[in-house]
Amino acid sequence: MAKLIGGLGTSHVPSIGAALDKGLRDTPDWKPFFDGYIPGQEWVRENKPDVAVVIFNDHGNTFFLDKVPTFAVGCAEEYRPVDEGWGPRAIAPFKGAVDFSWHFIDTLIENRFDPMICQEIEVDHGLQVPMELFWGKPDEWPVKVVPIFVNVIQYPIPLPSRCYEMGRVLRQAIESYDSDERFVVLGTGGLSHQLQGARAGFVNPEADQAFLKDVADNPDKLANMSREQYVEMFGSEGAELMMWLVMRGAMDPDVVVRHKHYFVPASMTGAGMIVMENRAAVARIAAA
Amino acid sequence: MSKRPIILLLPGLLCDASIWEAQRAALAPFAEIRIADFSQFDSIEAMARSALALADEPLIAIGHSMGARVAMEMIRLAPERIEKLVLIDTGVDPRRDGEEAKRQVMIDLAYAEGMGALADRWLPPMLHEGRVEDQTLLAPLKAMVMRATPEQHHRQLQALLNRPNVRPHLPNIACPTLVMVGRQDRWSPLAQHEEMASLIPNAELVVIEESGHMSLLEQSEQVSRALLRFLGFENDETSADVAAGGEVNTMSENGSPDRIPDTPLFDRKRSLRGYRINKMAMGLGNPVNREAFRENESAYLDRFGLTPEEKEAVMTRNWREMVRLGGNLFFILKISAVDPVRITEIGAHQAGMEHADFLRDRLGKK
Repeated sequence: MAKLIGGLGTSHVPSIGAALDKGLRDTPDWKPFFDGYIPGQEWVRENKPDVAVVIFNDHGNTFFLDKVPTFAVGCAEEYRPVDEGWGPRAIAPFKGAVDFSWHFIDTLIENRFDPMICQEIEVDHGLQVPMELFWGKPDEWPVKVVPIFVNVIQYPIPLPSRCYEMGRVLRQAIESYDSDERFVVLGTGGLSHQLQGARAGFVNPEADQAFLKDVADNPDKLANMSREQYVEMFGSEGAELMMWLVMRGAMDPDVVVRHKHYFVPASMTGAGMIVMENRAAVARIAAA
Repeated sequence: MSKRPIILLLPGLLCDASIWEAQRAALAPFAEIRIADFSQFDSIEAMARSALALADEPLIAIGHSMGARVAMEMIRLAPERIEKLVLIDTGVDPRRDGEEAKRQVMIDLAYAEGMGALADRWLPPMLHEGRVEDQTLLAPLKAMVMRATPEQHHRQLQALLNRPNVRPHLPNIACPTLVMVGRQDRWSPLAQHEEMASLIPNAELVVIEESGHMSLLEQSEQVSRALLRFLGFENDETSADVAAGGEVNTMSENGSPDRIPDTPLFDRKRSLRGYRINKMAMGLGNPVNREAFRENESAYLDRFGLTPEEKEAVMTRNWREMVRLGGNLFFILKISAVDPVRITEIGAHQAGMEHADFLRDRLGKK
């Protein structure tokens, strides 16, 4: 059966992609941010996942307001970068894990999650940027992807607890998938930021740091918070953070944090990264 | 309160004071109630002038169906006179294609077979589908219709057929406005009211559950509770009831605060309000549209039916105003792909700060 080898969390700020495109990686504004991801990239190189399940939100690029799926799952052969207004970015198309995607959709439905099923769909910076942050900008991606789109823009958005529960179903799907492939799950978005209204520019570094701790040690607390509390604490767009709970729900309750990084501000956002492994798996490897 | 406010109740087609009985009773402890009589008029404007003549002072206008159209005409004629406005089960568009012929059938029916026959034909589609046989509801309504005459019916239908197109005026309605509709109103549906509430700057929408077009009678309690709350004539208990049962939207621009200060959540109301702006901006994900925007921005905006207000906000790159009008930053940000501006500048503009101050004070940049 397939194996879940790690849970990764990261921001997906579009300016990160733009900074890479413009060659700003080593400028004073950005170097400390990107350097913090080096351990995460090393972890990925060492652990060689075959499939990355990426939980993110579209930002009014692929979906318009005419049709807003609360949860959507990609099961396409390939996911191309969407034109966000500046033309599609010059990055390699992402290869889909079609068979697993369908298996995941089956598992979701059997567990009373009813996602939109997407056989042809483009992806925006919400998926692109996390992939680049962990895998760089290869000519061909060394992992296949499974995109999970979560609506965090048009209210009513889903409950944080629902995201967490979906993560448990994702875990079940991975462990019932007949394959020897190695999976990582990426929860993306956040951390604190607000783009709209007179509170625009709101960041909350203390709450962000606490989140990076709680997501490992106390995820139930985060899952039991209301949507309003997310908005209050992390800003209107910071509510994206609830998508990390899908990743966290897929992990064991007891995890080991391998790497962690926080930087503020990346553009207008408190930006963070985390790499976690299940403690039981770590212990098994140590014993062997 | 030193002086009791004056409330004008404005009835709809073939309706008289009896249709307002429950609301009159609910509001009477708090205000002086006057009920208009439109039986003798054959134009909406004449009805509006007669209603305005019922008081010299500022007033609260509450209209149902045709009466709500009269209320909107009163606002047009004398905006300074109307303190608050309530529009119930109504519409804003002028005569539809083919409407005249359908109305003529009813006019002929009333003259040929009398008001009883007209009531039997006219009333059922006005009610919740599940209640078209309910005699406790039908009997008083039919009696009311039979108190009217074929001539009154004819006059009022003339008024309705020649009704003004109010839609362009909605953005100019400045007073606090409550838009209310029965969820099962088949005659003037919910979607129409959602749109009205989104076009009137200071409006909120309340949906009356389990009700057709005759909500004043079908769900008199719900209607009265919503009125009491909107007019501030309530105790805490009634407000909790309405908040739980009705759909009350808040926007900071509309006088009621955001639940989280200065944080506009992109809820149903904003999404409806901003649909045109956001759709226009979404179009800029296509290079052909970006070229069209660059070449003739005004013409590009017109393709999406933007109102003059929305158009001005876009053309002056007034980000705060675009957001106020329902623009969502993820969509409108695409404008900056054509006409470059940094997102932090957009943020500073909304925060009302200089860019450098914004970077330092909000984002903690050195």
